Amino acid sequence: MIRNTRMKRFSIVSAVVAAGAMVLSIMPAQAADPGVTATEIKLGVSTPLTGSAGLAYGKVPGAMKAYFDYINANGGVYGRKIKLVVRDDKYLPTLAATQTTNLILKDNVFALVGALGTATHSKAYTAASLAAKNVPDLFVNTGFSGFGNIAKYPTTFTVLPSYAMEAKIMSKFIKEKFAGQAVALVAQDDEFGVDGVNGFKAGGLTIASTTLYPTSSITDARAKALLTGLSAIPGKPVVVLFGTTDVTALIFKAAESLDLVSKFTWIAGSVGGDANTLLALGVKSTTIDGAIAASFFPDAKDTSDEYVSQFMKINEKYNKGISFDNIVLQGMNSAMLTVQALRAAGKNLTRTGLINAVQNKGAKFASAGRVPLNYSATSHVGYNGYWFGQLNAKGELKPYGGTLSIFTTDSAAGAVEASTFTRPAMPKNGIPTNS
Amino acid sequence: MHNFSATKKRLLLFILFGWLLLLVGDRVGELRQYQGSFVAMYTLAIASIILLTGYSGQLSLGHSALMAVGAYAGALSTNNAHLHPVIALIIATFVAGLFGLILGFGVARLSGPYLAGTTLALAVSLPSLANQFPILGGEQGVAFDVGAPPARFGEDFSQYKWFFWISSLAALIMIWLIANLLSSKYGRSFRAMRDNQVAAQLTGINTGRLKVTAFTISAGMAGLAGGLLVMLISGVSPSAFPLSLSFSLLTGAVVTGVYSLKGVMLGGLVLVAIPEIADSVVNRIGGSEGFTATLPGFLVSALLIAAVLFAPNGPGQLLKKKH
Repeated sequence: MIRNTRMKRFSIVSAVVAAGAMVLSIMPAQAADPGVTATEIKLGVSTPLTGSAGLAYGKVPGAMKAYFDYINANGGVYGRKIKLVVRDDKYLPTLAATQTTNLILKDNVFALVGALGTATHSKAYTAASLAAKNVPDLFVNTGFSGFGNIAKYPTTFTVLPSYAMEAKIMSKFIKEKFAGQAVALVAQDDEFGVDGVNGFKAGGLTIASTTLYPTSSITDARAKALLTGLSAIPGKPVVVLFGTTDVTALIFKAAESLDLVSKFTWIAGSVGGDANTLLALGVKSTTIDGAIAASFFPDAKDTSDEYVSQFMKINEKYNKGISFDNIVLQGMNSAMLTVQALRAAGKNLTRTGLINAVQNKGAKFASAGRVPLNYSATSHVGYNGYWFGQLNAKGELKPYGGTLSIFTTDSAAGAVEASTFTRPAMPKNGIPTNS
Repeated sequence: MHNFSATKKRLLLFILFGWLLLLVGDRVGELRQYQGSFVAMYTLAIASIILLTGYSGQLSLGHSALMAVGAYAGALSTNNAHLHPVIALIIATFVAGLFGLILGFGVARLSGPYLAGTTLALAVSLPSLANQFPILGGEQGVAFDVGAPPARFGEDFSQYKWFFWISSLAALIMIWLIANLLSSKYGRSFRAMRDNQVAAQLTGINTGRLKVTAFTISAGMAGLAGGLLVMLISGVSPSAFPLSLSFSLLTGAVVTGVYSLKGVMLGGLVLVAIPEIADSVVNRIGGSEGFTATLPGFLVSALLIAAVLFAPNGPGQLLKKKH
C-alpha cells in the first residue's frame, strides 16, 4: 500500500515535471525586445512631478507627451504610435530606483527617455539593471559629467552640456570681455557646483573670491552678508552665480535691498539664469535687465526662431493650458530627438539598433540647440557648447554684443573653441523624415 | 527545559520559512523578487520600531536617521574600504548600534513627546548633515554596489534574486535573534518597564540601562535595514532618507500591531503593496498624474486611521475577538 502511494506520488511528480519541461521547450528561446509591437512603441520616464523639483521641472514629461501625440496624429514612427509611461519619483533616489525598475519589469518599456536628476538617475540606472538589460537611456536631463563615462553607463545619452564645459566656456568669455575686473564665484556645494569649480580651474580663470554654499543653508541673511563682503572688492567685480534659479533669485533680491545691483556685473549659469522663473520668484525686472546668462537653446520667447514657433503651435494644441517656456522647449526638443532616433534605428526596431542609431547618426539630428550635438561611439554627451546673452527687462535673452557667438569644448582638458555651427533646419511642420 | 524546546521550535520555524522563501524566490519573476527584497528590508525596519516602541515603550520618530547611519557605514565599507558586501552589512549594523548606544545615553531620561521630538529633530537634521562631509559624497552620495551574484549560481541567477536572498536572509536571522531575545528575561524586563516603569524599578530592573539597551539593538536593526535599502537602490544619498520614511515605518508598525513581533511581515507587505494598489486603481479608473502621485499617501493615511480605530493592537486582535 505504502509502495503504491509512493509510486503514485512519484508518477504525479514525474508527470508534472515532464509537462513543465515540455511547456518550457516550446516557448520561444529569446523573445524580441519588450515594448515594441507592430502598432506601438512604449517608452518610459521616471521624473519629479510633485515636490519642489516637480514645481520647477514637472512640465518636461507633459511637453514630451504633447510632441509624441502630435507625431502619432501624423502617422507615428513607421506606423507605430509612441506611448510614454510617466512615473513620479519626487526627486527621491529610492523612488527613482523603484519607479525605473517598475518601468522596465512591470510596464515593459522599450527604452527610457528624458529622465531628470543626477543623484536620482545614477541610482536608478544600476538598480534597474539598465546596462545588463541593454535598455537605451536617452536624452537624460543632467549636466553631470559622470554620465559621460561609457564604461559605467553604456546605454545612457545625456542631452545637456556638462557643467564643467559651461565653466570652461564661461572662463574664456570672462577673460575676453571683462579683463581687469575681479571675479567672485558663488557656487552650490555639491557635484553640480564642484563640477563647475573644476571647470573654472581648467579654464584658467583667476578667481578673487570663491563661496561654496550647501543648498539647504543659504538664507536671505547669508546672501546679504556674502554680498556685503564682496562689495569691499574695488571696481566693478564680476559675480558668477553657479547654482539653481531659486538661489540666484535670493541673491538678486539681497542685492536689491542692499542697493548693490549696479555694483556688480552679474553672470548666471544656464541652470540658474531662467528669466521667467526669476521674475516669478519676485526679482525686479530692472535687476535682471543687463544680467548675462549662458544658454545652449534659443530664447523660448523668441517667436522668430523656427523651432520655438513650431513647438509653440504644438504646445497650444496638444498641451492645453500650459505656458510655453524653456522647460517645455527642452521637453519637446528631447521628444523630437527621440523620434529621429527611433526613425534612424529603422523599421526592425531593437534596443541595440536604437543605441547604434544615436551613436552613428545622433550628431546630425535636427534640434533646437544653437550648439552642436556631440554623439558618437566614443561620446554619449549631447550638446557641447554655449552662447552668452544679456537679459532685458522683459526677460528676453539677446546675444551679448549683438552677435551670436558660440563656443564649444569638452568636459576634460580640451581647448575652448569658437564654433561656426549652423543649426539643421526644422523638419517640415516639425515632423522628422530622417532614416 | 521547556524554554529550550521553544527556542528549538522557533529555529525550526525560521528555517522552514526560509526554505519556503527560497522556493518562492525561484518561482516568481524579477519584479516580485525585487519587491520581496523591499518587503524584507521594511519588515526588519518595522521590527526595530516594534522592539523599541512596543516592547520597551520608547517612541522614536527618527528611525530614518538611524537607517541613514547604517546605510552610510555600509556604503563606505564597500565603496571606499572595498570590503565584501556581507561584511559591509554587518558593519552597518554595528555602527548604527554604536550610534544608538551613544544616542540612548543622551535620551534615556526623555520619554513621551520629548523623546519623540528629539528623534524627530534627528530625522530632519542628520541626513542633511551628510552634505557637510566630502567623504559622504554630498547630494550625489556614495555608491553601494553589491556586485553580480556569484558565478556558481549559474547565468540565470538574476541580480534581483541575489537581492532577495541577501535581504531575506538578513531579515530572517535578525528577527530570529530578536524573537529569542524577547522570549528571554530581557523581553520580560522590557515589557515590565513599558507597562509600569516604577513597578519595574521596584522589582530591581535597571530601567535606565534597559532603555539604552533597547535603543542600541533597535538602532542596529535599523542600520542593517538602511544598509539593505541602499543596496537595493545601489547607493546612499541624504534624500534617500526623508522624514516620510520614518512615518511610513511607524504606520507599518501600527498596522502590524505594535505590541507583537508575530505579524511583522504584514507591515512590510503593506508598505510595498500600497503603491502597487494605487497603481492598479489608477490604471483601472484612469486619473491625472497628480491623482496617481497622491493616492499612495492617501491610502497609507487611511490605513493608519483604520488600524487605530479598529485594530490598535494589530490584526491578530480582530481574530482573537472572533474566538
